[in-house]
Amino acid sequence: MWIYIVRRLLLVVPVIIGVMTIVFILVSLIPPSTRIAIYLGPLARNCKPGLPCWNNARNAIGLNQPLPAQWGIYIWNSLTLHWGYTNPSSEASIGAQLGHTSYPVASVLSWYLPYTLELAFFALIIILVVSIPLGNLSAVYRNRPLDQGARVLSFSGYALPGFLLASIVLLAAVALSGGYAPTCHGLSYYFDNWFGSWPDPACIPGTPSTLPSWIGPHLETSPTGFPTIDALIHWNTPGGPYLVEQSLQRMLLPALVIAYGYIASILRFVRNSMLEVMNLDFVRTARAKGVPERQVINRHAGRNSLNVTVTVLGLTFAFFITGFPIIEDVFHLRGIGYLLALSIQPEPDFGIIFGSTLLLTLIVVAANIIVDVTYAYLDPRVRLG
Amino acid sequence: MESNRTSETLEPTEGAPTLSGRRPNPQWEQYKRTFYFLRRNRLAMFGLIIVLLFVAIAAYSPFYPGPGDRLATYCSSATIVGTNSSCAVVVCTYPIGSTPTGSPCYSYAFGEPSVIAPTIDLSHFTLGPLPLGSLTVDPSAGVMYNIATGLIKGAPWSLGIAAAVVGTGALVGLLLGALAGYSGGYMDETIMRFTDIFLAIPGLFLVLVTLSALGSRFSTLDGRIGILIVAFVITWWPLYTRIVRGQVLVTREQKYVEAARASGARSGRILRKHIIPNSLYPVFVQLSLDIGTIPLLLGAIIFLGYQIWPSIYFPEWGTMSAQAVTNLSAFLLQCAIAGTTTPCVFPWWQIFFPGITLFLFCISVNFLSDGLRDALDPRLRR
Repeated sequence: MWIYIVRRLLLVVPVIIGVMTIVFILVSLIPPSTRIAIYLGPLARNCKPGLPCWNNARNAIGLNQPLPAQWGIYIWNSLTLHWGYTNPSSEASIGAQLGHTSYPVASVLSWYLPYTLELAFFALIIILVVSIPLGNLSAVYRNRPLDQGARVLSFSGYALPGFLLASIVLLAAVALSGGYAPTCHGLSYYFDNWFGSWPDPACIPGTPSTLPSWIGPHLETSPTGFPTIDALIHWNTPGGPYLVEQSLQRMLLPALVIAYGYIASILRFVRNSMLEVMNLDFVRTARAKGVPERQVINRHAGRNSLNVTVTVLGLTFAFFITGFPIIEDVFHLRGIGYLLALSIQPEPDFGIIFGSTLLLTLIVVAANIIVDVTYAYLDPRVRLG
Repeated sequence: MESNRTSETLEPTEGAPTLSGRRPNPQWEQYKRTFYFLRRNRLAMFGLIIVLLFVAIAAYSPFYPGPGDRLATYCSSATIVGTNSSCAVVVCTYPIGSTPTGSPCYSYAFGEPSVIAPTIDLSHFTLGPLPLGSLTVDPSAGVMYNIATGLIKGAPWSLGIAAAVVGTGALVGLLLGALAGYSGGYMDETIMRFTDIFLAIPGLFLVLVTLSALGSRFSTLDGRIGILIVAFVITWWPLYTRIVRGQVLVTREQKYVEAARASGARSGRILRKHIIPNSLYPVFVQLSLDIGTIPLLLGAIIFLGYQIWPSIYFPEWGTMSAQAVTNLSAFLLQCAIAGTTTPCVFPWWQIFFPGITLFLFCISVNFLSDGLRDALDPRLRR
């Protein structure tokens, strides 16, 4: 098993270098002055072209050297998490969000990443809880109304644009929970309840009108960084239970919308693999022995079709991540996707665009390793073959 | 087929004359059989009809009276709404069905996002549903466009971009996948490692990164759309390469390939005549699936703020629904800030018609692709 894991990890090295190379090719296509500004960060304000500091920066990222040397420097900087600085310009949404200060891209990403990971966790739970039983039922009741209903339902999730569905869900949630009537801080209370990662301090019931101190200025939470976990840790502080509830509530709708769009593909794979397993000899043998049908489906067929599901989850993880920017943008949920949406318009923040792509690719690669190792654990043929 | 066996030709070559005339083309027979299986699948037939309908709309679109889909269009009574650097943004007001005449105006007549977004006027939303037959302009609220016209004018764009992306991607994937699968060894390893690298990057991110790095270099509309297609192809080719390679690996070991090799056929001929035609069907299925996804993804990109064509609204289904949702969000925020429901009539029609078009297109393409898979794969024909 350990040999398999080490071998799998070694295989990842060229992929990571390759991804960085692709990003480097794209980086080398943007104007050199932008690259220098990303590298300089807060210093760029006083550093103009022609000054010694400008030339030093240009030499530091290798712009005076041939492309292979630039590539080497870029790979080294990427591996050591020197991903440049954010764009402090007031034209860039991200600059406005961060108070016109230039922060290192890596630390900005680290503030936003836990929110995305938590959202992914909740969405994956919803997907697994819905699609595995439904896929199995679909296979058992093949071409019957239940099967067709499940397929049409999941297809419809796949065929609706995410931004449209998310906006409608947000609108419906506000309308159903009470509309726009009471306001706090000039904003509708119920709207605020579903929008953003944390409540507007003015909307928190009770006396404290600020967010507690464990939520930092950039909404990074301590000690773990994961909002819901941190809220649970601070359960006993004033307003603690309320913030736990709020944190979960604000994750609920985005997770549901992401899951709805993704269930279709997983359901299809679960159904197909279950259909395949149900035609195998050992299932027939089990039936012939007189094992009750429920047990045949749950124990003999269901367990064996699970392997395929694990693989598919891993293979399509990159597609899963693709849905995040839109959903996070609609719900203003802090996360890498929201950050990306902020950094596109009106003035692009290339540091964040390249950095978030690199980071999410690394996450996808890590997820693939976890899936492969799980698969090898479930199926000995893989790790020995 | 049986009746033709009576022909006395020893070596029946393609199209050889027989006693009863010409031999039926086996390829054609195959298509007929596939269509027979497809016709039995009701959902697939539904999908096929809807897709054909959309194709017909796209073909009819250039003849549809209304604001042109390219830069110049003619209108009788023009209202100048705003100007951008190069030309006046002009919106035409004329009833649908009349022939546009008059001076040319330089816009799609779909409005200027920078005008629409910041100056949303709440009273504008109390108009109620827009009648689908007329074009209404409210200069204070930005430009309003006729949704039906937009959808019809947008059809060739949506279908065209999707077809271009999928066609190029599938072609690249087919060539590389066949090369990797058939030659094996070093070549296979190299191509597949490249594929792995591209597949590891989440699709939307790769498209957006490519677009933001390259987009500003192109200043013409054709260039911008070209770069959009390139960005999508960069994201899509590895998927096809992987599918084709997997299929070629299976096909390569078949008896008929062995027979062809034994009878002295060269690699190129085996690839062309035996392996590629027999590895095509999963590509076909994936291809038809992706045609439905691309307009959705295009809408997502527009929604995230990327502008295909700065300052002029672009008639394309995904773009239209993204624009509608953006409008709706601005409107929603206004309502939320105002804290009252009285001026907020939900402009459902803006979002509903583009949304339902996209939905119908995507879902029918899905049904069709499912049906195709069942019809093309002999193992599933039961």
